[in-house]
Amino acid sequence: MKKINAIITLLLLGGILFGLAVADICTPDRLFSEYENRILSAKPKFSLEKLFDGSYTKDYETYVTDQFVGRDNWIYVKTVTDVLLGKKEINGVYLAEEGMLIEKHEKEDINPETVEQRLMLLQRLTQWQEEKGTGTLRIMLVPTADNILTDKLPDYAPYYPQQEFLEQVKEAAGSYMIDVTNTLKEHREEPIYYGTDHHWTTRGAYYGYLVWAAAMNMTPTSYNVQTVATDFLGTLHSKTHWATAPDTIEAYIPAVLQETADNTASRSGMQVYYDFSEDAKDSLYEARHLETKNKYGYFLDDNHPFIRIETGTQREEAKGRQLFVIKDSYANCFIPFLTEHYETIYVLDLRYYRAPLFSLLEEYGAKGDMDILVLYNVIHFIEEFQYY
Amino acid sequence: MVFSSIPFLFRFLPIFLIFYFVVPRRARNLVLFLGSIIFYAWGEPVYIVLMLFSTLSDYVHGLLIARYRGKKAASCFLVSSIVINLGLLGFFKYSGLNLPLPIGISFYTFQTMSYTIDVYRGEVEAQRNILDFGVFVTMFPQLIAGPIVKYKTVAAELRERHASLEDMAAGICRFTIGLGKKVLLANNIGQLFTKAAEMPAENLSLLMAWMGIAAYAFQIYFDFSGYSDMAIGLGRILGFHFPENFHYPYMAVSVTDFWRRWHMSLSSWFREYVYIPLGGNRKGLRRQLINILIVWSLTGIWHGAGWNFLLWGMWFAVFLILEKIIWGKVLLGMPKVIGWIYTMAVVLVSWCFFSLEQTDKILLFLKSMFGFGGGGLVNGEALYMLGNYGLLFVILAIAALPLGKKAVEWARERTQKNTKAAFALTICLDVTEKLFLAAVLLLSIANIVDASYNPFLYFRF
Repeated sequence: MKKINAIITLLLLGGILFGLAVADICTPDRLFSEYENRILSAKPKFSLEKLFDGSYTKDYETYVTDQFVGRDNWIYVKTVTDVLLGKKEINGVYLAEEGMLIEKHEKEDINPETVEQRLMLLQRLTQWQEEKGTGTLRIMLVPTADNILTDKLPDYAPYYPQQEFLEQVKEAAGSYMIDVTNTLKEHREEPIYYGTDHHWTTRGAYYGYLVWAAAMNMTPTSYNVQTVATDFLGTLHSKTHWATAPDTIEAYIPAVLQETADNTASRSGMQVYYDFSEDAKDSLYEARHLETKNKYGYFLDDNHPFIRIETGTQREEAKGRQLFVIKDSYANCFIPFLTEHYETIYVLDLRYYRAPLFSLLEEYGAKGDMDILVLYNVIHFIEEFQYY
Repeated sequence: MVFSSIPFLFRFLPIFLIFYFVVPRRARNLVLFLGSIIFYAWGEPVYIVLMLFSTLSDYVHGLLIARYRGKKAASCFLVSSIVINLGLLGFFKYSGLNLPLPIGISFYTFQTMSYTIDVYRGEVEAQRNILDFGVFVTMFPQLIAGPIVKYKTVAAELRERHASLEDMAAGICRFTIGLGKKVLLANNIGQLFTKAAEMPAENLSLLMAWMGIAAYAFQIYFDFSGYSDMAIGLGRILGFHFPENFHYPYMAVSVTDFWRRWHMSLSSWFREYVYIPLGGNRKGLRRQLINILIVWSLTGIWHGAGWNFLLWGMWFAVFLILEKIIWGKVLLGMPKVIGWIYTMAVVLVSWCFFSLEQTDKILLFLKSMFGFGGGGLVNGEALYMLGNYGLLFVILAIAALPLGKKAVEWARERTQKNTKAAFALTICLDVTEKLFLAAVLLLSIANIVDASYNPFLYFRF
């Protein structure tokens, strides 16, 4: 009896160890992990030098662990146990109410010196505007989901209160600033942020657009809402691999645009030039991204350093008007709302194009009066707003 | 190589075990020696020379001491052996030269000293077979983190040992439990301690400070005893019987009791080779108290060169002495829970010295623990962490106490008189145990793999 018991134990636990070892050795290496969205480590090359400085064995351990059989499943098992243990966050993402994922930003992550520096850069921009600007400057910094959907966060979850920062921006940039916080809060029960991604939804952007239009004394135009995807699992899902329901992506198509079958909207005369390319696209949307994991790339073809949009609008009040947008990816679903108000829109992403900002503004501003819009979410702005 | 890694579990260990059990019995020590060299060299390709030197040195010293037994030369060789061992340890650990510490040096120098001292005392024969001696020093299961095995404990098993199927099954169970302690418990609660230790002073509340230090208490216990379990289990698979290292230390009802349960192989080493030679308790109370102070100061600095480790050891010495001369007897007469609360308070405060290392941090933490910190008694951060780790704390508490063991004993007693019921219980317990161990093993693997989870989000923006 005792012997049988021992044999069963050995077969079970030994079987797991030896079985997995054999399975692991027999499984071919993978080059890329969809799950983690990165290239996995490959077998390190042996050299005596690397052996003695310890880097060979270290690389080898990384390699074996990266290529371990069933890696994605093991990681998923760990996520499930964390959730069962009552963990409120995974990899810096809150598991919020109603199955929502909300990115965590802590006050400690924000460097006060960086904040000072960003405010200084803003002030330089407003000074330039006052001396050389030929149109209206607007600065719109959008709070992230944790600040708007605060009551959906887990109990006592810490977050960086962005209102403090926005007050500082108000002091630095005065009347140029547009605060969308209250408007977004009014609509907080609607899906204004994605539940699996860190961006605002097109609906969230629409409410932001209404605030902007009011600040610009413009009449907002009307839109047809079109659902373009119902199976979007965004960046926060990639970080956690935890999602109760996929998101829906909507496009707000200006009523005057023709709706087309492939989820892009176009009209004759619309030309979108990416990165100074000679060839123009005729739409602000790229439907091919809807077939990939990164479906938010549908708006303005993901991220480009520089875009020139000839909107082709026929509206009288838009004739001859130019807009220069300095932005992060929050603007990608926002810019389509602007196409009925301007003939030409320039879009600059400072994270990818380290441009001398003022010479660009002067170059394009020379072609006619030009409004400027700075559009970021607060966190990206603090982390990334930089120009020379 | 560490035990809780994919390369060890799924490359080194299976391949080693196959070789070990396939070769003829008399070649097993060679396989164990070579395997241990590879295991050590994997992480320390340079310092392996140091370990081999230490092995050779004490092998020769052992022979010389035996050769000149009873003569003055024997004492000289013993002193020389101790000087070399402590010299190595001192040079790498305490010289302040900022050298990386050779893995396991604190353990193997103590083990080899036990050998030459015992040969000198005539308690064991000198080992003539250098391979057998090499196996004693380098043996991979307990090389890195103990238990500290005295030579005489395993002298016979170095030459001849037998692992029955029951031994091997018990060994693999013990290994699995140790792996689970380290990976599932210690590593996960360790994150909470890290957060508490990094928390800015103005946010650290009383609740957070106590949770943080309790987290550390669990982390160090499950980490260390997990490693010991893995070592004991691996040894058992190979036919060795290593000494136990922990016995439910957080059940202790006095500080004296705590040290009978905590890192037992180190305490036993110091008792045998320092405390008793100094006279122990045989030379009057005054001398005994001084001996306690010496032994626990040494225990403290054995853990590291920082003054905080010395303070940690002396902190315990003070309470051991106070228990000897003032309240040890009083405690015995009181309800156990009072002794337990007092002991846990002493131990938890000691972990502040042990874990935080810098004076200002220690003081800050202690201030918060007594309610004078910047975060007050309770704040949102602390409650958030309680929500995140509350359930894990419950599991840790259950795992740190012999509740499972007690429950099984209770059930066995209830069914003692009924053969059928006793049989059913045995079957039931056997099945539960196996399912539990399999789950622990699989979850440990999941945790080890997840530790390298590293999503790259180029589309973050």
